[in-house]
Amino acid sequence: MRVVLAIAWVELRRFLADRSNLFFVLILPLAMVAVIGWQFGSDRSGAPLSVQGPGGAATQALVEGWEDAELAVTLRDTPELVQEDVSRGSAEVGVLLDPEAEAAYRDGIPMELEIITGSSSEAPAVAQVVRAQAEAVATEAAQVGLLETFGDEAEARAALDDASTLVPPAQLLVQEPEDPVAVAFEGVEQFDSGAVAQLLLFVFLSTLNAAPALIKARRDGVVRRTMAAPVTTAQAMAGLTTGRVVIALVQGAYIMLASSLLFGVRWGSLGVAVVVLLVFGLVAAGVAMVIGVLVDSEGAASGLAVGGGLVLGAVGGSMVPLEFYSDTLRQVAQLTPHAWANDAMAQIQRQGAGIADVWPQLGVLAAMAIGVLVLGSLLLRRSLARAM
Amino acid sequence: MTTPVLQVDALRRSFGPATVVDGVSLRIDPGETVGLLGPNGAGKTTTISMIAGLLRPDGGSVHIQGVDMASDPLAAKRHLGLVPQDLAIYPELSARSNLSFFGRLQGMRGAALRRRVAEVLEVVGLTDRATGASKTFSGGMKRRLNIAIGLLHEPRLLILDEPTVGVDPQSRNAILESVEALSGEGMAVLYTTHYMEEAERLCDRIGIIDAGRVIAEGTRDSLVELTGRTDTVTLAGDGPLEEIEAAVSRIPAVREVHRITGEGRLVMVVQGAPQAISAIVATASGAGMTLRDVEISRPDLESVFLHLTGKALRD
Ligand SMILES: Nc1ncnc2c1ncn2[C@@H]1O[C@H](COP(=O)(O)OP(=O)(O)OP(=O)(O)O)[C@@H](O)[C@H]1O
Ligand SMILES: [Mg+2]
Repeated sequence: MRVVLAIAWVELRRFLADRSNLFFVLILPLAMVAVIGWQFGSDRSGAPLSVQGPGGAATQALVEGWEDAELAVTLRDTPELVQEDVSRGSAEVGVLLDPEAEAAYRDGIPMELEIITGSSSEAPAVAQVVRAQAEAVATEAAQVGLLETFGDEAEARAALDDASTLVPPAQLLVQEPEDPVAVAFEGVEQFDSGAVAQLLLFVFLSTLNAAPALIKARRDGVVRRTMAAPVTTAQAMAGLTTGRVVIALVQGAYIMLASSLLFGVRWGSLGVAVVVLLVFGLVAAGVAMVIGVLVDSEGAASGLAVGGGLVLGAVGGSMVPLEFYSDTLRQVAQLTPHAWANDAMAQIQRQGAGIADVWPQLGVLAAMAIGVLVLGSLLLRRSLARAM
Repeated sequence: MTTPVLQVDALRRSFGPATVVDGVSLRIDPGETVGLLGPNGAGKTTTISMIAGLLRPDGGSVHIQGVDMASDPLAAKRHLGLVPQDLAIYPELSARSNLSFFGRLQGMRGAALRRRVAEVLEVVGLTDRATGASKTFSGGMKRRLNIAIGLLHEPRLLILDEPTVGVDPQSRNAILESVEALSGEGMAVLYTTHYMEEAERLCDRIGIIDAGRVIAEGTRDSLVELTGRTDTVTLAGDGPLEEIEAAVSRIPAVREVHRITGEGRLVMVVQGAPQAISAIVATASGAGMTLRDVEISRPDLESVFLHLTGKALRD
């Protein structure tokens, strides 16, 4: 274990010693954060939602609901100001409530909101979140109202916690007669899975850079020297791989964290996402090791890494979502680590899946990682006999 | 009999159709330094790669401290220090980091590792350059670091493959001294070099290798004797040359004596001049010679190689 860590540590130091690599760990991910945040972030304009209402219980509950959904809300005094926010683009969506809506909320009957959708490409998605959230708030109010017939409000809320599913949900009436929940969910899906696809594509590509780095180490004779020490090929592989996986994790976690903090991009549980990224990074590092021991020229390996990374990404749904693939193509896609990782990450993001829910994907990715790493170990020993 | 530190039996290896190592056997005991001398492409590095467990032999076996390299490579490698012919250092890392890393691979750590790193940096004269990236080193400095890594963990067997190419005389001397010191402590050394004087200084025994075979092996003197040539000793001085000639002729090691009266010289063909020289000088003095000059000239390993193969050792 100590040997593995020593090798991993040296790999990290070698990586950092090359200034151009700092570009890969610091600058490029920052660019990725900007791109992903700009494309998929939810509050890039600061206040996507402009609201005007009587300021009663309904207004308060709705604003809280929207803020829970990580929408930035600005309260306005008149409907005209809200209109202006939306038309000038300082808000994606405007919402108007009137005293009747407040009353309907109090009585637990369907309330009517006016939702004004802006013209940006982002606005429909925001509007869907607004609707879904308003729906949830209205439903809760209706449930509480229903239960209140049995006692006071506090008791009713307690009862609601136990029995919320037993009561039929109330409806929310909005201007556009669409099924708000379904549409909102669909919107969220496309919206953030694009960010996952780009993240995976980038992490895989950048990890494949380990291939030319390994070739350089072989050329420098240090791999031979390592193997002349009491070190097994498995230990050497594990060390080389660990160094690279740490880099992949730092990049991936950095992109996820920064884009969620700065732009409100949703990734689901960061912890679970990092586990998927870890196993995915292992596959990438393993593929890099195989290239690095099979190929003797750094230039050829770099080309192969970029080309291979793009092809695998494209086939695995990191450029076009897998949903658009034909059945045959989907089956081919299953051969790529990207497809499995995309699938797992999407579940974590959309359905709040935990480790237990993405076991199958993690299992397939782990099997792929073991396969390439064992192959790499076998080839490493043989590569020592080759003149370089 | 002690277990040899290195026991190599009938090692063979081909690359494609070419048999590069063809039945090499070697034995090195503790404290012994053995040289491998041979022209470019003789198979020295290939032999060493197999001894170090980096290249699988087609046939034959390697045992280090009695441990079979083929069946338990990890245990065998624990006793081994290798200084490869081609530099093997991380150019991105400093001398100290290179040493610490390879020391860790050998299971060293903590204060012991730091102390030993400082010691070998001193031996190879890189103490002032311990922290800069080694890619900024001169060629000779890189070589010295390359050697330091092999010495670091004080292995039972140290293999040096042409280690001193491009190293200046002072540094070379410091390195040879440290190898001698370690050898004095019982380390076994396998040394390949093209420098005759290094081989003569360090090696207890020398194997001459050509086209993948060890064609002769023994002490320097026994190899030289193979040539059938003997040493030449020249005494210059004044005295009764005829009587002196008769006296020295009676020494068994002295085969022939030629008297050059005009120059006051006696030129002798001697078997084993280093051993016989004191007797020769004492006898000559006893017979009344006042010595001005004594000269011994000996055939070198170069001439041994020429004799055995009909080829020059160096192009
Ligand atoms: N990996 C390899 N693939 C093919 N041929 C090889 C390989 N390694 C060595 N050879 C060949 O084996 C022969 C012996 O090479 P080796 O390096 O062992 O010689 P050497 O005695 O160390 O020479 P030098 O004194 O020049 O270092 C050479 O002809 C060389 O071309
Ligand atoms: Mg060689």
